[in-house]
Amino acid sequence: MSPTPGGAGAPRDRLKVLSRRAFSFLLDWMAWGYVAYCVMYLLNYYWYTVHVDWWGTLTLPSWGWPVVILATLELAVWCRSLGRSLGQRAIGVALRPVAGERISVGRRVLRGFLWHLSVPLAPVWIARGEEPLHDRLTQVGLRTETPDPERPGRRAILTQWGFVSLFLGALTMCVGWLIIGINLQVLIRRAPQAGRIWGEMLRPDFRYFTAPDPVFHLRALSYSILDLTVVTVFMALVATVLGGVMAFPLSFLGARNVMGFSPAGWATYGVIRGFFNVFRSIETIIWASIFAIWVGYGTVLAGILALTIHTIAALGKLYSEQVEGVSPGPLEAVWAAGGSRIQVVRHAVIPQVLPSFWAFTLYRWDINVRMATVIALVGGGGIGDMLFYYKNQGDWSKVGAVVMVIVAVVWAMDYISGRLRERIA
Amino acid sequence: MTGYPEGYTSPRPEWTTGRGLYNALARRADVAAKYFAMFLLDAGGLAALWLLVTYAYAWYVLGITAYILVPWWVFALGVVEGAILWESLGRSWGQKALGRELTPVSGEATAIRRLLYFVLWNLFGLTGIGFVLVPPLHERWSGLGLRRERPSSQAPVPWYRTSAGLFVAVLLVVTLVSALGVTLTWESLRRLFTQAGQTVEFWRALVRPDTTILLDAMRDMIVTVFMAVLATLFAVAVSVPLSFLAARNLMRGPVGRPIYTILRGAMSIARSIEPIVWAIIFLVWVTALRSPFAGILALWVHSIADLVKLYAERLEAIDQGPIEAITATGAGRLSVLRYAIVPQIVNPYISFTLYRWDINIRMATVVGLVGGGGIGQRLINYIWGVQYRQAGTVMILIVILVWAIDYLSARLRAKLA
Amino acid sequence: MPTPYLVIDGLTKVYERGQVHALRGLSFSIEKGEFLVVIGLSGSGKSTLLRCINRLIEPTEGKIWLDGTDVTRLSAKRMRRVRRRIGMIFQQFNLVDRATTVRNVLTGRLGYIPGWRSLLGLFSSQDKQTALANLERVGLRDKAYARVDELSGGQRQRVGIARALMQKPEILLADEPVSALDPATSHSIMQYLEQMNRQDGVTVIASLHFLSLARRYGTRIIALKDGQLVFDGPPKTIDNAKFKEIYGEDAEEVEVR
Ligand SMILES: Nc1ncnc2c1ncn2[C@@H]1O[C@H](COP(=O)(O)OP(=O)(O)O)[C@@H](O)[C@H]1O
Ligand SMILES: [Mg+2]
Repeated sequence: MSPTPGGAGAPRDRLKVLSRRAFSFLLDWMAWGYVAYCVMYLLNYYWYTVHVDWWGTLTLPSWGWPVVILATLELAVWCRSLGRSLGQRAIGVALRPVAGERISVGRRVLRGFLWHLSVPLAPVWIARGEEPLHDRLTQVGLRTETPDPERPGRRAILTQWGFVSLFLGALTMCVGWLIIGINLQVLIRRAPQAGRIWGEMLRPDFRYFTAPDPVFHLRALSYSILDLTVVTVFMALVATVLGGVMAFPLSFLGARNVMGFSPAGWATYGVIRGFFNVFRSIETIIWASIFAIWVGYGTVLAGILALTIHTIAALGKLYSEQVEGVSPGPLEAVWAAGGSRIQVVRHAVIPQVLPSFWAFTLYRWDINVRMATVIALVGGGGIGDMLFYYKNQGDWSKVGAVVMVIVAVVWAMDYISGRLRERIA
Repeated sequence: MTGYPEGYTSPRPEWTTGRGLYNALARRADVAAKYFAMFLLDAGGLAALWLLVTYAYAWYVLGITAYILVPWWVFALGVVEGAILWESLGRSWGQKALGRELTPVSGEATAIRRLLYFVLWNLFGLTGIGFVLVPPLHERWSGLGLRRERPSSQAPVPWYRTSAGLFVAVLLVVTLVSALGVTLTWESLRRLFTQAGQTVEFWRALVRPDTTILLDAMRDMIVTVFMAVLATLFAVAVSVPLSFLAARNLMRGPVGRPIYTILRGAMSIARSIEPIVWAIIFLVWVTALRSPFAGILALWVHSIADLVKLYAERLEAIDQGPIEAITATGAGRLSVLRYAIVPQIVNPYISFTLYRWDINIRMATVVGLVGGGGIGQRLINYIWGVQYRQAGTVMILIVILVWAIDYLSARLRAKLA
Repeated sequence: MPTPYLVIDGLTKVYERGQVHALRGLSFSIEKGEFLVVIGLSGSGKSTLLRCINRLIEPTEGKIWLDGTDVTRLSAKRMRRVRRRIGMIFQQFNLVDRATTVRNVLTGRLGYIPGWRSLLGLFSSQDKQTALANLERVGLRDKAYARVDELSGGQRQRVGIARALMQKPEILLADEPVSALDPATSHSIMQYLEQMNRQDGVTVIASLHFLSLARRYGTRIIALKDGQLVFDGPPKTIDNAKFKEIYGEDAEEVEVR
């Protein structure tokens, strides 16, 4: 069934179609709002009508806001009537004539005007279950676009949406360039300084690979590069084990097919999934800054806790997606043999997911080692302590040595975990 | 045809022809590689165990960090001989990992035979001399051979009754014990249970965020988003062409293979360095005055390395069918590229790019922490300024941003698939 | 007068999604020891009927009496006790591919063991002996420790039978047990079912696609069409006209030898 937007059909379907239309309209409006923002940024930047500091600000006179909002709204409306707008393309619909071969320009313009009449009257025609007024009066409809084998479509760049997306892309480039302050001249002018650093880093100083470096102290102890490398790998290991152990039971609570469809099941599922999503959105290093305040700046435990929390959330999500993807057959078989819910999980779900759980856990260890190398920046401990210490001292040849060790370890972990994952899968 | 009657001449040995020689050498190299892989696993495992045990011992008992505690040659000899002994007398974990088993060619695997195997493996295996023959010398003379283990209808021996299983278990336990010993201190554990109050200001931001900084924070967030978008776009522009040079199946021959190897090696090194580390290097280069610039450069380099790998791996997995079909019509290399390869990779490439964009948003906030501009820089300034409520507010904003982008990119990718 | 072993009374199933009426007021009864074959076009409700009997699917209306108890009214816990008396084998075998054969067979025992023991995967040695004996019975003793994904289709279904045997079932539901198999293998599987029926006195309800198989193995046939009973009787009484009624005018009977 091809949806007839706003047309006849079950009321639920009609509302769904209308909300999709509203969404696509919003998309168009936002696109033009973004264009307006960029244009004004560029105007400000080049004509200094308002002062701009380097990262950019947008200050409009008080009457400016309504003008911008209305202007972008109108632009969106006319774009949607006169051609195939970006928003229409995004949800895969196009204007099609209900009667007649083609839609004349006059009809399109009329539709644009009628839109303003039709929207305030929306409650009326929605209640009466009719097509939107402006569509009905101009004898057009928004239909799902099916490619016509007779008439090949125009090249994307020649359509409205194609042009607009290209324009948006170019605008983003320009504005982004200015906002970020990309400056290639600096890159070239300061190349000699950078070259000096690179040169020193490429002549690494491995004197303190196994012997503790007397100038580097952590809580009154000196460490060698090797010591801290071991600590870093161990940090990642402990965090992965802890995180995996905790994510394992949680992942079943966050899986639709295990939790069932009772209200309690839904609630548990929602809470667990929400927990995974929120905690995953906070980067490990941000967690580390919180835990560094809690358990002490520069303690390894802070790093471990940060890695663990992020690992629980990330692994939990991956695990529960695996659990949701199991084939339902074996579950059915255990139910049929009189198994309880726990037995179904233990004997039908777990055997199916265990190999991929191992693969994800290995992968996570790999990621955790990477994270553990830099977590010291905010007081999470590990080899990063050394890295940032030497960097602050300007001792770039020691920085080079540390970076090389990090690269070797990370690379080896990547390789080994990749090979192991291949074997498991 | 030599003209001599059948059986009068012996056939030319196989290895006198080029191809035959190559095959013979390859066979021997194969056998030797199997043996040495096994040996490396065993010796490496024993070495790791020894290192960990001494490490834990030194840490807990002597209170120092030390790794071997014996002269290095004792360590080396012990590890090597231990591994060989294990392989000769029992079923080592290297053998288990590669699915091999030491079985008698005929008769029983007596202790004498196993000891003989041990001695011969030392003499001829380690030195590599024995591998000139297939099967190698130590196998021939001891009458024992490494065979693929046969699946049996008997219940498999439980892991705790095999030496390999016990070894792995001990290794895991020792690893965890030493890892916990090294990483945990009593002081930090004590703080974990008593000092939770230190972070109360962060959580206060959840209920009472500091709204006065919202506008400034939003501005920084715009910078962060632009950093991620531009870094991704610029990275795509570089990595799409590079990915063709980094695909194993497209780069053949004496020119192609070295390019492939160098490119993939460089990319995997660049990928191993976290964006934060790249950012500190670039910060020195472009100075801290232009921190977002340094940040975007860091993201750019790391994205290139990551995208080239992802793209190239996709290229390596393309279906050969269309390529053959188009080539068979007599089309040139460019047409093959345009009509057989590109259609297969467009969607996956876009999908990888969206994925990387999502990661770059996260990384852009992280890169800010070292002074790479954007919202991350604001966050770290608040943290170091002990303005925890403001820091908490910024964190909430970051969570919303990251979560929204994550959702968006996942939705778009689901549509592409 | 003794009541029949299994009575199905006015069984109706309406699937929420799409408002599909899969079964419409189905009623019939079975005596102990029968080999009942259910035939019908695909989509006629055979799987739904079988799954309603052990309540893998909740019936919308109607009653199912098994040996005098109304199955549809049982609590979840009591239902599990009833389920272990009902064995089931499936068209797609429903085995855990990554586990060994004997592991899969042992899952048939789960209804009998308390929660914590099964959580640890500790099966008693007696259960293990029975599992091996059942594998022996279906001729798979030598594959006991092979992973299921190394087995062929017929072997997998035999594992499914061994798993059902673990329950010591009184009644066996077989949902198109041979649809995924080739003709020769089909017969061997059906013979195992027949053997269970004759030797162990297990009541068998099997849904089948091929009339020839139904005639050969069934003691009684029922036919479904759009969720309604269109035939019920001994195999011999299905003639060409009946066949056309069940399968539609254009259908042509195919032999499975
Ligand atoms: N889970 C379900 N949701 C909705 N409709 C279903 C479901 N399962 C089966 N049906 C429908 O119920 C009818 C009977 O299906 P089924 O019992 O599987 O038939 P058979 O096993 O005879 O092929 C079919 O029309 C089918 O589409
Ligand atoms: Mg069916």
